[in-house]
Amino acid sequence: MILGLALAVFGVAVPFIGSPYMMGVVFQVAMWIALAQSWSMLSATTGYLSLGHAVFYGIGAYVCVLLTGTLPFELALLAAAGSAGLFAALVGMPVLRVRGPYFVILTYGLSELVRHVVMRIESALGSFGRMIFDVPSTEVLLWWMVGLAVLATLGAYAIRHSRFGAGLAAIREDEVAAETVGVPVTRLKLLAFIASAIIPGAVGGLALLRTSYFEPAQAFDPVISFTIVTMALVGGTETVRGPILGAVGFALLSELLWSSLPQLYMIVLGLTLIGFILFVPKGLSGLLGRIGRAA
Amino acid sequence: MAFLDIKGVSKRFGGLMALNDVSLQVEKGEIFGLMGANGAGKTTLFSVIAGHVAPSAGEVVFDGTRLTGLSPSRICRLGLCRTFQIVRPFAGLTVAENLRVAALYGSGRKLSASEIAAVVDEALQAVDLADRRHLDAAQLTLSGQKRLEIARALATGAELIMLDEVMAGLNPTEVSAMLATLERLRGEHGLTFVIVEHVIGALMTLSDRILVLDHGERIAFGTPEEIGNHKRVAEVYFG
Amino acid sequence: MDTLLSGQLLFAALVSGSLYALVALGLNLVYGTLRLLNIAHGDLVMIGAYTAFWMISLFAIPPILSLFIAAALCALLGWAVYAGLFRRMLAKPELAKRVEANSLILFYGISVILQNLAALAFTSTSRGYQYLDTVITWQGISMTGNRLLSLGVAASVCFGALLFLRFHLFGWGLRAVIQRREAAQVVGVNLNRVQLLTICGGFAVAGVAGVLVSMTEQITPFMGFPFTIVAFVVIIIGGLGNIGAGVLAGFCLGLVETYGIALTSPGYRSILIYGLFVGVLLVRPEGIFTKAVRS
Repeated sequence: MILGLALAVFGVAVPFIGSPYMMGVVFQVAMWIALAQSWSMLSATTGYLSLGHAVFYGIGAYVCVLLTGTLPFELALLAAAGSAGLFAALVGMPVLRVRGPYFVILTYGLSELVRHVVMRIESALGSFGRMIFDVPSTEVLLWWMVGLAVLATLGAYAIRHSRFGAGLAAIREDEVAAETVGVPVTRLKLLAFIASAIIPGAVGGLALLRTSYFEPAQAFDPVISFTIVTMALVGGTETVRGPILGAVGFALLSELLWSSLPQLYMIVLGLTLIGFILFVPKGLSGLLGRIGRAA
Repeated sequence: MAFLDIKGVSKRFGGLMALNDVSLQVEKGEIFGLMGANGAGKTTLFSVIAGHVAPSAGEVVFDGTRLTGLSPSRICRLGLCRTFQIVRPFAGLTVAENLRVAALYGSGRKLSASEIAAVVDEALQAVDLADRRHLDAAQLTLSGQKRLEIARALATGAELIMLDEVMAGLNPTEVSAMLATLERLRGEHGLTFVIVEHVIGALMTLSDRILVLDHGERIAFGTPEEIGNHKRVAEVYFG
Repeated sequence: MDTLLSGQLLFAALVSGSLYALVALGLNLVYGTLRLLNIAHGDLVMIGAYTAFWMISLFAIPPILSLFIAAALCALLGWAVYAGLFRRMLAKPELAKRVEANSLILFYGISVILQNLAALAFTSTSRGYQYLDTVITWQGISMTGNRLLSLGVAASVCFGALLFLRFHLFGWGLRAVIQRREAAQVVGVNLNRVQLLTICGGFAVAGVAGVLVSMTEQITPFMGFPFTIVAFVVIIIGGLGNIGAGVLAGFCLGLVETYGIALTSPGYRSILIYGLFVGVLLVRPEGIFTKAVRS
């Protein structure tokens, strides 16, 4: 709680006190917190691990690039979030019938399919990357991103502590038993899927405004999905602070390594993920909890 | 009109007739026993009634509402809940959380926090699990998990509960405790039970009426005494 | 229309079909006996391809010999995975449960590590070499020697494996393990040995496929993933754990892909493959899989 509040205050204040570089880092951290928290709304609660959240991010970016210029950017972002949610609503029913490892790989495949379709559309239109102009100032974008991170965190918290969250936990433990005691399994899963898609849509839009350049292969990059999963699992999926810890940790690591040695960064990401799954199932959050109790 | 009315239900799995034109009526407040050898169709009948399996023919009416085609969660919210022969606890949740989910969703209306707490406490008391409420469900013994199944069904606020072999695997002391619990629940809450049981003694003492299935067909129906004296039942059951 | 009916297209379809069958064969063997979906399977193809490239560029060892080197190398990797992970899992049920729940994410982590290690070691530049690329014309069909070789090797390995599984005692044991794991143990199949040999064999086959691919296509650290996806499509169509049908499905996919592209354009290849992948998973999410997973 205090951690989150401190981060949020720092995020809002950073344009007044920090360097442009600092602002860039905070933007990244806020972005990954927003994404990992959104992911956790579906995957940490129900156990349906999505390896395709890049699709929502990419759809948000695409919608945003198509609409900026015609709409004020706030509305474009709203449309980006809405389209990501709409996409989740449309594909959710059939996709959520698939379980376990098949769900994981299906979400990955779906995200790749949309990526290739968008690439195809773009090249058919003769577009090889779109530039946008007239983007809002870096400060404004940063505040928006911090706002999304806060919103996603509050949302994840609210879901976990609500009737909705109790139903999702029951689904994670045993879908058939959940249905038997009155939990409307199909509806709750779909709602969780949509909830976890909306903010990533807006995040994709914001990230686009920040780089002011759209290229489908990048906007739907599967590395985004993988990074989200890694951050959330390493941070710990049992608590709301888990994704925050994971996002902060990896975003800082990425600042250290990504620009100079991107491959090494990815290797560290992979190794950490494997190590945590095998040996630290409760993640950083669980480790902290243990240290806290021991002290 | 009967509380639960099963009208000519059949279920075919490929070439196998799991249920063949089964009809039965359960009255409010009674304990209705279902008997039959393995594969007689008892669990299939439960699955059809609870909405897990769609019947090939026939229909199920509960308290005036046609259940056929409704989802299990909808059926539960209408007041009919089942337990599973092979227990299905929410293993990673505590005993109290297991019941809380049932209380939150089972009744179909929004209860206040204090009402939820009361429902959970009552269900815990009913099956004597109050002292284990903070344990993970996975940590309970088999007998504990069987009682949790019943408690979870109670916490949904169901008026009719179908119990699938809740005595199997329990020792005689536990069986008599369970019998007393069920009798009390019927008396205090006016609940209706449909029970499937392999422990025939328990079924005979508990049930008001018993239906015997064999290979998906009903072969006998009556009070426990009548069933005990029934010739075909003796042949099928006791060889 | 003429091109559609030509032998040229049929030849191309058979070449890619035999490769797909080969890649899928390895994945299917590993899945059948270990019940784990190895999402890093395509990266073994990448390793095989690099092996062939370095062998010919550094030591002038021709790919036909590299086939054996790559097979041995990948088999060794299989042994390492088995010894490092599965033995430990057998000993610790708690760990086994965690691995099974996260198997896909875990293997994705391994895949990311392999890809980036390759990128770090060999750079991301695409590589290639020339081998048997003279054109032979027969009955109006132009074929390069390397494609003929690829078709010949892939087809013989596939059918050789099928014959072996049908007639050799080990094959019987293996099929018994795929169908009824517990029962196989009861009748005296040494599960440990079957699993170890299968994972080595499955990996080796992927390495062989990699050598064949390297003769005609560009080699990059990230070339493997599409092969994983193709292999998934193939074994899901053919039925998980169903070795013979998988080989057939591999050839079918080659046909569908080659003719599909001939009717549209090469730009649609990824859309076709991912579309099939998503479609197949959505249409039969429960069907074969749950049965295979639970038995």
